[in-house]
Amino acid sequence: MTSTIALSIFRYVLIAALVAFAGFPIYWMASTALSANSELYSTGQVPWPQLQKLPELISAMAGVPIGRWLFNTFLIACGTTVLSLLLGSLAGYALSRFRFRGRGLVGFLLFMTQVVPEALILVPLYAMFITLGLLNNLMGLVLANVGFSLPVAAFILKSAMDSIPYEIEESAIIDNCPRFGILSMIVLPLIMPSVAAAAVIAFFAGWNEFLFASTFLMDRSLWPTSVGLASFIGQYETPLSAVMGAALLFSVPAIVFFLLIQRQIVAGLTAGAVKG
Amino acid sequence: MPELTFKNLSKSFGSHVVIDAFNATIEDGEFLVLLGPSGCGKSTLLRMIAGLSEITSGELLFDGDRANDWHPRQRGVAFVFQSYALYPHMTVRANIAFPLVMDAFKKWYHLPIVNAVARRRLMKSPDIAARTENIARQLELDSLLDRRPASLSGGQRQRVALARALVRNPSLYLLDEPLSNLDAKLRTQMRSEISALHHKVGKTFVYVTHDQVEAMTMATRIIVMNKGEVQQIDTPEGIYNNPANTFVARFVGAPPMNLVPVTRKGRRLATSNAQAWNHDGELPDGERLIFGVRPEKLQFLARGQGRMPAQVAVVERLGAETVIGCRLVSDEHGGTTNLVENDLVFVRISGNPRTKINEQCSLDYRAEDVVWFDAHTQTRIPVRAAAPALV
Repeated sequence: MTSTIALSIFRYVLIAALVAFAGFPIYWMASTALSANSELYSTGQVPWPQLQKLPELISAMAGVPIGRWLFNTFLIACGTTVLSLLLGSLAGYALSRFRFRGRGLVGFLLFMTQVVPEALILVPLYAMFITLGLLNNLMGLVLANVGFSLPVAAFILKSAMDSIPYEIEESAIIDNCPRFGILSMIVLPLIMPSVAAAAVIAFFAGWNEFLFASTFLMDRSLWPTSVGLASFIGQYETPLSAVMGAALLFSVPAIVFFLLIQRQIVAGLTAGAVKG
Repeated sequence: MPELTFKNLSKSFGSHVVIDAFNATIEDGEFLVLLGPSGCGKSTLLRMIAGLSEITSGELLFDGDRANDWHPRQRGVAFVFQSYALYPHMTVRANIAFPLVMDAFKKWYHLPIVNAVARRRLMKSPDIAARTENIARQLELDSLLDRRPASLSGGQRQRVALARALVRNPSLYLLDEPLSNLDAKLRTQMRSEISALHHKVGKTFVYVTHDQVEAMTMATRIIVMNKGEVQQIDTPEGIYNNPANTFVARFVGAPPMNLVPVTRKGRRLATSNAQAWNHDGELPDGERLIFGVRPEKLQFLARGQGRMPAQVAVVERLGAETVIGCRLVSDEHGGTTNLVENDLVFVRISGNPRTKINEQCSLDYRAEDVVWFDAHTQTRIPVRAAAPALV
């Protein structure tokens, strides 16, 4: 009995320590945002948030179009997610269910896209975007990101689709369901956890976008938050508290998205572990 | 309701021939069972009827129309899978209503969001809701309509699969070993339910099984298959009493028909060893024959009373009846016994006799109960004017 209580206490202490460890960067971000810049460049930073500094933070960020940047980031992330899932589910289904010449090669080429670093294709992509008129355009940025997140989404979805018994699809064929209906009404609902996992990967690829955005977007009003945050870094001074304040705002939607979808992802990670 | 005709239908996977020149006709309203061991091509044949597998060569005719290239939905068939293939993310109600919803679906309903709304509205439409509930009531599923397949027992899932097949009122039902995942008691119950269903709807059923009890109890006709070839097409009685060859004789019946290779010398039949006896009925031509007799047609007698001396090797007491496995022996030399055949000869007798293992006994038969096979071709040799079996 005593050992059970001790074990329980140990478990809670361990969980609390892990939560504190994981949450500390967010806390430090909040604490830094609500500190005076002079404190941040000395050793005298107060380790807890100073709420009386809030008006200072608000006035420091007043001239920054953070709302616009967050909106742009949101558009890029959502566009990347929707396109990646839409095309990824079609590609994954074709790779999983259809036997065609070159199927292995297609899979290999999709995989190879993950080996190429983004920086390597930056210049050719820039040249291509000039021709296509996609420079300084959020749609172009979405397309560039989809190029990298689509193969991952396709592979995740293909692996999940492989585990669905073919008889279920045949049953739908007998029930007069067309092929696209089978994908949308039968297959995708059955692999929702994997769809969620692919969505998270695509969403964060778009949300954290920096390299392409800083290269392809010249107009300040089109910047995503990541590029906007980088612009805070001055030649002589960087307003650390404002940077951290903006970074905090930048993190909140991403955390909310992850919290909304996390239950599905956990189910996806453990799917197939036991006989269902 | 269609009449199905198969003309030299073949199916190959690469160089491997699964079904070779299958010829048969399935008549309107009959309960036809495709019976055979695993891998004999019976499920492949069913899938070709449904349009789920391509036909390599030959013709499949629906009421005389070539249907080789018809899409499954053009064929108007219902298919019950071995694994039931229910949609796990849908409720029982949605599973049963799915074929009806699909029949009413328009192309633009496939758009995101529109899809979900359209399906919900169609499910609630008076016609679909009424038909779904009606079929659920018939199969005693009405209390389970809002549950998902994962929370149902095997028998309940099986009934949902049947309900989904029935709800569209198709002209042809294809059932692929639907009872193989059920326990023995439930299988017996579902067997009679499916038979009753066939009588009630009066449609054509094509049922695949490797279980000869299912075939014998449910079928109006049976097609016995082996290695992609038809062995016999006949009624259950015909298959049982007049098997076309030794495969059918061994496959149908539990225990199977006793087959003893014999050499004919005049009216005398000799086994591979010293045992020989006089046959009192008609005999077919030929010297090397296979003597076949069903276990229940053999008479189990005391030593010396029957023509075939034997020794008890196995006794299986089944309650109302007993199956005794005997080895034929020769006792021509002053009572010493020599083993004649390694294969057991089974006798089925009613009651529960006090028979012991190694007990000496004898077996006998009536001439009209014997089925003869050619030892070389393994096919049946008709002796009298019996109804010829179709091969």
